[in-house]
Amino acid sequence: MVSRPEGRAGTDVLRRVGEASVLILISLADGPKHGYALILDIKELAGVELGPGTLYGALDRLERVGLIEPLPADDRRHPYRITAPGAAALREHLDSLERVSAAGRLRLRLGGI
Amino acid sequence: MEKPGASWLVRAALGCYPADWRRRHGHEAADLAALLIQDGTPAGSVACSYLAGAARERLVPRPGRRLSTVAYALLVAACLLSVSMGLLARTAPARAASTGHAPERAQCRPTSHELARTETSASGGLRVLVLEAGHGRGC
Repeated sequence: MVSRPEGRAGTDVLRRVGEASVLILISLADGPKHGYALILDIKELAGVELGPGTLYGALDRLERVGLIEPLPADDRRHPYRITAPGAAALREHLDSLERVSAAGRLRLRLGGI
Repeated sequence: MEKPGASWLVRAALGCYPADWRRRHGHEAADLAALLIQDGTPAGSVACSYLAGAARERLVPRPGRRLSTVAYALLVAACLLSVSMGLLARTAPARAASTGHAPERAQCRPTSHELARTETSASGGLRVLVLEAGHGRGC
């Protein structure tokens, strides 16, 4: 079994959640959105077409761990907004991705590839 | 334009979710599906996504959900499996016996000729019984 060192990545709570959850948090970072708006925004932002089943699964998961919260429904749609812990977790995750990305680029350069 | 079968397909997929999920998201999920289908997403793909979501919702144990629900479901599945295995195990030897001994059973049944012979040669019913028992099998 491969054990991961509990270094900087140890505080990244989004490390084990799926890509959909991270994309939802990024989409909610600039303001509350409901399901349809999230799907459109994520498609434009990342070119990823989230299925509605995946979307609701990720929304429920994120809400359960307190990273997003539902707002009062307008019509039949429930908008969601990112919470303060959600914003902190997203920032930490993006920082972690940046570190990994920088290390990867450096190694590519050193390897002359 | 929404096809006539599309809403039925999506409704059926949404019906697979647990009741509390449907109370919470059901209407919004149906509206979202209609919008996606209007945008050109195939209804089958929307329904498949909801089906996969429903399966995840039902199979993945949640912290809030009582563990006993999942345990009972597994227990029922195990019981059904063991009952069907038991029935299979019980019927298999009987089936093998019925196919394996069929010729012998045919042999042990006295032919009409034998019966006729015994009837004519016998002085009483006891003679017939002896001849039939002579095959040595409880036919």
